[in-house]
Amino acid sequence: MTSRVSVRLPILAACVGLSFGASAADLTVYDALDFAPTVVKAFTAKTGITVDVVEPGSTGEVLGKIAAEGDNPQFDIVWVDGSAVMERMMRDHILQAVPDDAISSVKYTEMGKALLPKSHSFVPTGASTTAIEVNTKKVPADQTPKSWADLEKFAGKVAAKDPNLSGPAYQWLAGYFQTNGVDTGKALLEKVLTNKALAGLSSGGKVNKAILTGDAVVGINQDSGIIAKAKAGEPVVAVYPTDGSVALPIGLGISAKTKHMDAVKKFIAFVTSAEGQAAMQAGDDTDFFFMPIVEGVKPKVERPADIKFLILDDAKAAMNEADWKQWYKAKFVP
Amino acid sequence: MFMKPVPKVANIPRGLFARAIGLQTIVNIVSMTLVYLVFFLLIGLPLLLVVMQVIFPDVFNPNNPNFLMSLGPVGRIFVVPRVYLAILHSVELASLVGILATLLGSAFALIVQRCDIPFRKTVGIIPWIVFLTPAYLKTVAWVLLMSPGGYLAEFGLLPPLSGSLFFAFPGLTLVHALGLFPFATFIVGNALRGLGSEMEDAARLGGVPLWRVWMNINLPLLAPALALSFIAIFAQVLSDFGLASTIARMSNFGVLTYEIYAATSSYPIDFPLAGTQSLVLLLLVTIAVLIDRLLRRKDELKLISGRSRPSRDYDLGYWRYGVTALAFLVAFLALFLPLGAVIIRALTRTLSDGMALHNFTLTHLMEAGNIHSLAFAALSNSLRYAALAAFISCAAAVLLALQLEGPGKFMRASVMSLALASVAIPGIVFGFGYILMWNRLPLFKASVFPHYGDASLLITGYIGVAIPYALIVVMASIGQLAPSLNDSARLFGVGGFRRVMRITLPLIGFSILTGFILNFIHIMFELPVSQMLIPRTESPAPIYILRLLNYDKDGLACALSLISMVIAGGAALFLWLVFRWFAARNGAANNGKWISTPSLAGDMR
Repeated sequence: MTSRVSVRLPILAACVGLSFGASAADLTVYDALDFAPTVVKAFTAKTGITVDVVEPGSTGEVLGKIAAEGDNPQFDIVWVDGSAVMERMMRDHILQAVPDDAISSVKYTEMGKALLPKSHSFVPTGASTTAIEVNTKKVPADQTPKSWADLEKFAGKVAAKDPNLSGPAYQWLAGYFQTNGVDTGKALLEKVLTNKALAGLSSGGKVNKAILTGDAVVGINQDSGIIAKAKAGEPVVAVYPTDGSVALPIGLGISAKTKHMDAVKKFIAFVTSAEGQAAMQAGDDTDFFFMPIVEGVKPKVERPADIKFLILDDAKAAMNEADWKQWYKAKFVP
Repeated sequence: MFMKPVPKVANIPRGLFARAIGLQTIVNIVSMTLVYLVFFLLIGLPLLLVVMQVIFPDVFNPNNPNFLMSLGPVGRIFVVPRVYLAILHSVELASLVGILATLLGSAFALIVQRCDIPFRKTVGIIPWIVFLTPAYLKTVAWVLLMSPGGYLAEFGLLPPLSGSLFFAFPGLTLVHALGLFPFATFIVGNALRGLGSEMEDAARLGGVPLWRVWMNINLPLLAPALALSFIAIFAQVLSDFGLASTIARMSNFGVLTYEIYAATSSYPIDFPLAGTQSLVLLLLVTIAVLIDRLLRRKDELKLISGRSRPSRDYDLGYWRYGVTALAFLVAFLALFLPLGAVIIRALTRTLSDGMALHNFTLTHLMEAGNIHSLAFAALSNSLRYAALAAFISCAAAVLLALQLEGPGKFMRASVMSLALASVAIPGIVFGFGYILMWNRLPLFKASVFPHYGDASLLITGYIGVAIPYALIVVMASIGQLAPSLNDSARLFGVGGFRRVMRITLPLIGFSILTGFILNFIHIMFELPVSQMLIPRTESPAPIYILRLLNYDKDGLACALSLISMVIAGGAALFLWLVFRWFAARNGAANNGKWISTPSLAGDMR
């Protein structure tokens, strides 16, 4: 009887308590973007389609969850920064190609068209890039770096994200190799990122902290994050290197096993519409400061609109991903 | 040798089940099987699925799953410098912190339990508040404090070299020890309560000096609690992620948990490496437990025999002020300083303007305290999840502990070792194991209850993480009860159920409550499992706080964390007061007097 009573108590509690939290929404979105909840709210208000927004953490953590789910993905849509990883997920049959009819009606700018991958592994919904973040209190104006090579002057005081943990950081690394050449790029980074304590941070927020209160004076960070910090009153500025800024698309991918393709298409149509793009700008956190790639949509006033973006060779970036990430980890991560 | 006369258990009718031996046996077998099955599903199988990838690296490959064996992942331990260095670093750190935090926590327990010091109750609450502060918040706080442009530097209190010393092994050790000493205070404190003063009084009457009493009587009696404390803290450090991802990273000091995180927070996941590193963590704690068992094979202490004689306080004379000052110094470093940094951050707009007057604002607190906000909804979800998971884990732990009283020492030691080893497994590994089990294994992925993506599986995961803690507390407490208590009642014909309800549970009630509150607070701020098993709706507070930290809204994150701590702490305090009131009215195992002295000292037999 002791056992029976003892067994009953936890089971009873479990039955009472575990009955909440189940969901029957029309769509499930996995994302690591500040604006996703705002956009979803606007989408549901407009269409009546309900959406569960699942945000387990950073881009790396979202991707880790997707990788663990393997051949039984639980999302309909994944919405994160980066293009190379989308390509790879499609190769692994986690994602499916975005249907033509979901994209054909989108009025992309030239840049938007350039970001749309031939494989249709994702729908670009906006873009940002990686810039040099400079603490204006620590770096005099006449010493502000202009190119990636200028960072050598700040060796040991440069904060950077680990591309193994950050989708945007890998996008930057692959783009940096594309513009500087792999061997030259590696040699330069070895001269710049000499302080491992600063070179393998896990998020843009930690790069900001290192620059604002830590040992770093400059950093390699997503420009939208720098703009958001500057708007919040922090003494930082985004410098776009003269050797080029590789675009970081905000990509929306479709699960290979989604059973809600109609709702997915409606969601894509919404986020690439003027209304959806407005929702993507209705806030002051990092991702709200993206660069629009849909005709007629203007960026927020704080974002410079005259940046010359370069487009990443996704296929090459995806092919070399494991090697380049491993190299970075071996060289710069403690 | 510590037995008191058996308390009188009169007027208890003979249990029906005592007479129905056959039925009782069947019930026992069925319930034990059920209990072991539940434990296997909650802890064993998820861990097995992660660890099995050490030899079957492609078993969960989404494109080509197979059972081809390979020892390649194991080889990486010895080949890749960052992997073996991480193992060495983890052991080095966990050992040193284990010793320091055990010493500090034991000293705290001693002065709170045995010394007549001013502000004794206040000092006694400090470890609870330290424990209540989420690890990730402490790390945020220390970074804010000790950075070259941090708050201490702003006050001019940061000497030039202290920052570089802090973001290194000494600082890491110090912060860990300051954060984990409450474990030792709880464990050794309970043991001190159970110890009573019979032996000490007898020795002192015989003219034995106090230091010899401690060396020859009290310390040997407390040795199991000290060892348990060391191993629990050792395991905690091994499984820590908060400091591993911040101060350890800033110190160029790679540890295992961060390596596991790095291996699993990307696409594709390096499952084999994560599995290998998890196996190493398990082995490290298992080795520690085995060494402890070998050293203490003959320990068989039964300290609770009905009622221990309350110990007398030591009169420290003028030293009591010095001791109190030291306690408050520890409190200052472990609690007020980091909490102060968090409060300042919650009340300021930007990091760079620090404590400039114009930088102060109530915006963050008002936003976090708005009951209609997403933040408050997340907090409310976490409160419900934590209460449920803590209750179920404690109930299950009591059930298992009661079952294990019969089978013998080996089974008890095995389960206790497994529980301690489980504590060392980072939540992220549990989380992955749960995803693999409930989303990939054929039988389980079809389950509607619990179901991956629902709160049901998140709470199940919380229970899996919490059960080892509850088990350690409850088993150690039950292990303290002298067999004579039950034997005597049985001689009077008292049935099993009544013996448990009238003798065992009242005696271990305080430990069950301790386990509940520990788990409640632990789950409220549990991050990795929350991340991996995040439900599609009703997301818990740690995820929301992490999101704020990731999105650079650390002011709001600090404000929400503070409110969470106040509510969680208030709830725990309320429960404790209700329990005390209830026990005072009904806990009549001994002439109507409440016994709150179960000890953890005789664990792991």
